[in-house]
Amino acid sequence: MMTMLLNQLNPSIKALTVIVMIFALTLVFDPFTPLVYCLFTIAITFMFGKVDGKKYFLYFLPFFLIAIGMLWTTLVFADAPKNAANTVQIFLWEFPKEDVVVAFSLALRMLAFASLSLLFIFTTNMVDFILSLMQQCKLPPKIAYGVLAGYRFLPLMKEELGQIRAAHQVRGVNRATNIKESIQQYKRFVIPLLAGAIRKAERTAVAMESKGFTGDKHRTFYRPFTLSWKDWAFFLFMFLILFITIFASIQLEYFQWYKGQL
Amino acid sequence: MIHVEHLSLSFAEDESKNILHDVSFDLDDGEMMMLLGPSGCGKSTLTYCLNGIYPRELDGQMKGTVTVLGKVVQDQKPGELSKHIGVVFQDPESQFCMLTVEDEIAFGLENLQIPRAHMEGKIEEVLQLVHLSDYKEATISSLSGGQKQKVALACVLALEPDILVLDEPTANLDPLATKEFINTIQWLQQQKQIGIIVIEHQLEGWASFIDRAHLLSKDGHTIFDGSLSKAIQLYGYKLQEQGISIPTVTQYALSAAKHQKRTYKRIPLTTEQFVSSVSYIDASIFQRKLKKGREQEQTILSASNLQFHKQGKSIIHDVDLTLKKQEFVAIVGANGSGKTTLSRLLAGIDSPTVGEITLHQRPLATWKEKQLRQEIGYVFQNPEHQFITDCVYDEIAYSLRIRCFQENDIQAQVNRILSYCKLEGLQHRHPYTLSQGQKRRLSVATMIVDDQQLLFLDEPTFGQDAASTRKIMDLLQERYENGTTVVMITHDMDLVDQYADRVIVVQSGGIVADESPIALWERPYLEQWFIEYPTRIQLQQKMEESYDDYATQST
Repeated sequence: MMTMLLNQLNPSIKALTVIVMIFALTLVFDPFTPLVYCLFTIAITFMFGKVDGKKYFLYFLPFFLIAIGMLWTTLVFADAPKNAANTVQIFLWEFPKEDVVVAFSLALRMLAFASLSLLFIFTTNMVDFILSLMQQCKLPPKIAYGVLAGYRFLPLMKEELGQIRAAHQVRGVNRATNIKESIQQYKRFVIPLLAGAIRKAERTAVAMESKGFTGDKHRTFYRPFTLSWKDWAFFLFMFLILFITIFASIQLEYFQWYKGQL
Repeated sequence: MIHVEHLSLSFAEDESKNILHDVSFDLDDGEMMMLLGPSGCGKSTLTYCLNGIYPRELDGQMKGTVTVLGKVVQDQKPGELSKHIGVVFQDPESQFCMLTVEDEIAFGLENLQIPRAHMEGKIEEVLQLVHLSDYKEATISSLSGGQKQKVALACVLALEPDILVLDEPTANLDPLATKEFINTIQWLQQQKQIGIIVIEHQLEGWASFIDRAHLLSKDGHTIFDGSLSKAIQLYGYKLQEQGISIPTVTQYALSAAKHQKRTYKRIPLTTEQFVSSVSYIDASIFQRKLKKGREQEQTILSASNLQFHKQGKSIIHDVDLTLKKQEFVAIVGANGSGKTTLSRLLAGIDSPTVGEITLHQRPLATWKEKQLRQEIGYVFQNPEHQFITDCVYDEIAYSLRIRCFQENDIQAQVNRILSYCKLEGLQHRHPYTLSQGQKRRLSVATMIVDDQQLLFLDEPTFGQDAASTRKIMDLLQERYENGTTVVMITHDMDLVDQYADRVIVVQSGGIVADESPIALWERPYLEQWFIEYPTRIQLQQKMEESYDDYATQST
């Protein structure tokens, strides 16, 4: 299926692609390239991945707000411009053009990073990612299965926290009204939670060892992750799009390397 | 197959105190054995010795030898023994590291480097063995406790062990799930003839098909090795004092024997054996322990038209209920039927979506938290969650200090409660270092120190051994006799039968029966509500049946 393509890619290659693209984008410093690349990435995410649009929007929103904040602070706290006469009007204020370019470059670059990260997060199963890291990137099984076991514990700990809170309420512990009390309350919650978690972790470790787990790198895999031409095609495709964007940017005379602006 | 010789073990914290003391036994091919002992006698330590985790991970001393299939355990490489010994542990929540059933079973196979081509078949085979074929792709967190334990069993079966070690596998399960798990084990043994060691502190359910027993005392000594019925014949009630629960039918038989000053050739361990070997039983044996107080009319708490929704799902609906002064109420029902939610609503911990609860004719919502907690106590399922301070004394004194009592008065009250809950001498210990039974009694102690007149308890006897259950129930009984209303969630119908004067049956969020236990036992088909008849009633039913059979045969 076409729309599942991203979800089916090898998670390690996907991660590699995203990281390489982020590094490549840091070399560029103009507003046009990251904007176009960001739009491309979002389009690819929705065209080739099975993504919940509403959830995507919710995750994207905080990045967007931070980007706006960044844009504003960069504009307001910019260095003295070399060419102060050349100005741009934004709403009611006038800013030197070079400051505006710098600010937009920075904010849009962040959005491009966000869209790349979300592409990975929304189309990758965490368990698959860890299994793939172990198979393709030689992540030691001890760490990989440790992380997986911990991942399982998170919802359990959340549930336990709720129970501890109710249990303390019944003991007549007052609700915290100031910071000092909040810290104290937090401390009281943490001890039973940690005690429970340590005990559980120990039991899980014993159970894993009883099933023959030794941390040995020689093991077979029930869910093997392999590399196919599709994975490399994705890698090249993302690069290609970046080149096209940069090419367009040069043609339109927006393009600039990052030369330590800011 | 397993050969344990003069095994002694102590931890580094206290070298002088042996956890296990000169334990020796042999287990033959396909033999089944129960390893019985009170909580904290080193049973689980022994499991670790059998599967090679000790002495490798042991911070302490281990003497003696353990041999499995002729191989000395101490000399084995890590992971080597898991091909021979499969262990199912007690806690269903912490035995897994993967998210789905198939991945978890595959995890063990991967560890043993079984080729992938063989995995699929293996996984399906073991799931069939534990009757969970439909759950292959299910996430583990969506399963019930009983199903999780069966998955844990499937995981070790996939490794084709020669011996299964079951370390209190049913301690966290309700009675129906326990029964099913034990049946699965029995069926499995018939299919595969593997050796099984069941580590337990209670005999109910296992006694019908395992006869060999190895008894450990509190200090880790072997006190008996041989036939289970012989052990009971020899020790009888003393086992109970040691913290090993014997089946309720056996208790009846023992007290009947005592009453009639006779002994059994073969002591009955199951209802079937009881019915066939006991011809006459004194009615006094069946008498309930409950001393009914005066009929009280004073209403303490009443709830009308209660409803509770969580995340769009209706958990409790249409509940009307009044609690009177001095009642001993048991709330029973299947897991997930809403028992705990109902009790939390009544205790004012959660607020109902619809409906009103009044305490002493005043709506619960208008009570100040502080005052409310002086009226209503609530003992949670996990006692540790309720502990706030660093020592037992402070723990009990906590709510008195909140109320700004004089330190002299506090001391007198705390000492009274300490002796009341049989916690004397422990006042300086940290709550977390207490034994399971002591923790439970401490959590009850903190909830009665204010003389709360209404006390809720969520499965207070869950996971407790016989002696500890006894102590808690006696404590509650005494509270009740002094006029407190006790509301207890439980799965143990024998406790309901003995102590409660009112039972509330909860089924899918509604109350389906609210009457005296005696009236409830009169009803046919309690199975529809996922509850069992107490042993006493089961016996009566069976005896009547066999009497009827006898009567029809003779005419």
